[in-house]
Amino acid sequence: MDFKFTDEQDSLREAARDAIGRNRTEPVPGDAVHNEKMWQALAELGALGLPFPEDAGGMGAGPIEAMIVAAELGRVGARTAYADTLMAVTLLGQDELAGAAMEGSRLVVPALYEPMRAWSPEPARVTTDGSALEGVREPVPFAAAAPAVVTTARGDDGIAVYAIESPTFDGARLDLAGQSARHVGGDAHLRQALNLGTLVLAGEALGAMESALGLTVEYLKSRKQFGVPLMKFQTLTQRAADMYTSLELARSAIYFGAMSLAEDPEDDLTISRMKVITGKAGKHIGQEAIQLHGGIGMTAEYAVGHYTARLTEIEHSLGDTRYHLGRLAARVKDYGALDLVG
Amino acid sequence: MERGLSAEEAQFRQEMREFFTTKVPQEIRDKVAAGEELTKEDLATSHKILNEHGCAVPQWPVEWGGQDWSDLQRYIWLDEMQLANVPAPLPFNANMIGPVIATFGSEEMKKRFLPPTAALDIWWCQGFSEPESGSDLASLRTTAVRDGDEYVVNGQKTWTTLGQHADWIFNLVRTDPNAPKQQQGISMLLIDMKTPGVTVRPIQLIDGGHEVNEVFFENVRVPADQLVGEENRGWDYAKFLLGNERVGVAPTGWIKRKLASAKEYAASVAAGDGTLLDDPLVSARIAELECDLAALELTVLRVAANSHGGKPDPASSILKLRGSELQQDVLELIADIAGPSSLAWSDADGSEVPEWAHNATPVYLNFRKASIYGGSNEVQRGVISSGILGLKG
Repeated sequence: MDFKFTDEQDSLREAARDAIGRNRTEPVPGDAVHNEKMWQALAELGALGLPFPEDAGGMGAGPIEAMIVAAELGRVGARTAYADTLMAVTLLGQDELAGAAMEGSRLVVPALYEPMRAWSPEPARVTTDGSALEGVREPVPFAAAAPAVVTTARGDDGIAVYAIESPTFDGARLDLAGQSARHVGGDAHLRQALNLGTLVLAGEALGAMESALGLTVEYLKSRKQFGVPLMKFQTLTQRAADMYTSLELARSAIYFGAMSLAEDPEDDLTISRMKVITGKAGKHIGQEAIQLHGGIGMTAEYAVGHYTARLTEIEHSLGDTRYHLGRLAARVKDYGALDLVG
Repeated sequence: MERGLSAEEAQFRQEMREFFTTKVPQEIRDKVAAGEELTKEDLATSHKILNEHGCAVPQWPVEWGGQDWSDLQRYIWLDEMQLANVPAPLPFNANMIGPVIATFGSEEMKKRFLPPTAALDIWWCQGFSEPESGSDLASLRTTAVRDGDEYVVNGQKTWTTLGQHADWIFNLVRTDPNAPKQQQGISMLLIDMKTPGVTVRPIQLIDGGHEVNEVFFENVRVPADQLVGEENRGWDYAKFLLGNERVGVAPTGWIKRKLASAKEYAASVAAGDGTLLDDPLVSARIAELECDLAALELTVLRVAANSHGGKPDPASSILKLRGSELQQDVLELIADIAGPSSLAWSDADGSEVPEWAHNATPVYLNFRKASIYGGSNEVQRGVISSGILGLKG
């Protein structure tokens, strides 16, 4: 059991921090906007192929490294298709589009949500007869940047994965009927893709929570009311201590999620626990960060609320706390005592 | 980063598991599982078996009976002990005064006290809190005045856990009332409970048990060689005592054991056509507590690896805070599972309600103490906000 990062991993963090810092733009409310300059910087860093084998065009690192990069994105509030692309590449397997995605020459995202349907990893109303697709995916992330899309559909032989190189969007909506789709394969990589995507989102949440708490602590030190800094009020500092506790517990769970996937990419029990822990911590820290700032935390020109917005998006991506808790609850009968290290 | 145990660590875990489940009497472990109050004999029997096998004081220096174990090994030792429902070695001996004497005591004091402390031939209790000094411990008023080769002690201690069983007390006393800071006038004295002038009076608690006491000192004459370390340095020793342990601060093995029991209990309570374990609200609560426990246990493992050589670390405060909250949450869950079967506390012959359900409410009430003792959770939050976040109030 070892929670320490290697020197290479520390160097990667520094390089990612530098590249991301140079290319970030000020956050704005609303739908995420694709930042091509940032994307190319990530591609140059090798981040887009980081967890994939070298013989498949990747960098031969793993989920721990992907989580490190994601945390740096989260720390400065850079909204990118990072988790999406790593999922898409996982789903694509040997497909040629994977290479283009890893190089950054083509933005590829997964389309896994159905409009007005609670999250499920299995498609319900998206179907295939073996060649053409039927159904609607919405919202598709970063649709405004005209990405290529990987999607799943239910057919006679179970769930299959399809690539659509040049989809036609209607806003963030993708009507699959009439789109030129290529059959990629079965759903053998679906669980791995979801686990990796969930981990990367959690890594981003970790960075966002760190920054939200950091800003809050600085504000409590510098902002004066009643003639004294806010940190003179225990009602505020006690709550900041609870935020720190939530952050550190989530950090442990996210690091453990990363090392668990490095060992077993299919370990969705650990990933569900991590998602629940991260979801609860994200809500706690995000809400308290705004409250402890007061009015300034509500403004678009100040950073803290944007972290809360991003944490809220992450909570609702790839299954929320309710979904993952339900999945875990259904399995509590399968074992007695929790055993994390065995 | 690496998940899991090495082959040697897994082997060590197996040895610990076998030791705790075969050498400590089942009868004692069953009482722990059911939340029954343990007798002095139960606690002593278990402690002595642990000590005979080198498992009572592994965190002590090797020359005084400790083990040269890694932090991870100590975590495994504790985890397996708690999972097997083995009562912890008496904390006043093993975690409190033992390490203090080993670190700050004279050679003579070590020789005199450490072996019987490890073997529980001396049963220690803690004389820290006073009626007017709870969280504000440094305001304590019990005095010790030097008179020749003796100190004369006067005052009152309270919340003295298991003081009714104790042979000796390690006592914080004020030796310099004129020190510029309150903390600088405090010393630590070791006092034989049989010394004339020492009186113990029980305090009844809300669970119906007698766990804590008041201890009164009236002109108690204490040989000066029972002063720990130096005069007026007692506050440093007290801080060391309260903060030197990180692996054991959060009882994650205990919580794990209780959560596993909660599943069995829920499966044994009929509800509708099935059991309470089939109730989605109950299984979701269990699942959520397992998530909270996982986060805490992983944090224990993560901070144990960054040990600061036994110095107090504010990270301990996170473990104390969340460990006590989770202990309380899991006992609340068990009391809720027992439901109406928890309403009768006493276990009369012929009762169809099992022991754990009779005990569910008193045990739940008893552990409201966990967020108060050892530095209340509000104090811990203060340590985090000022010591880690730099928020100076």
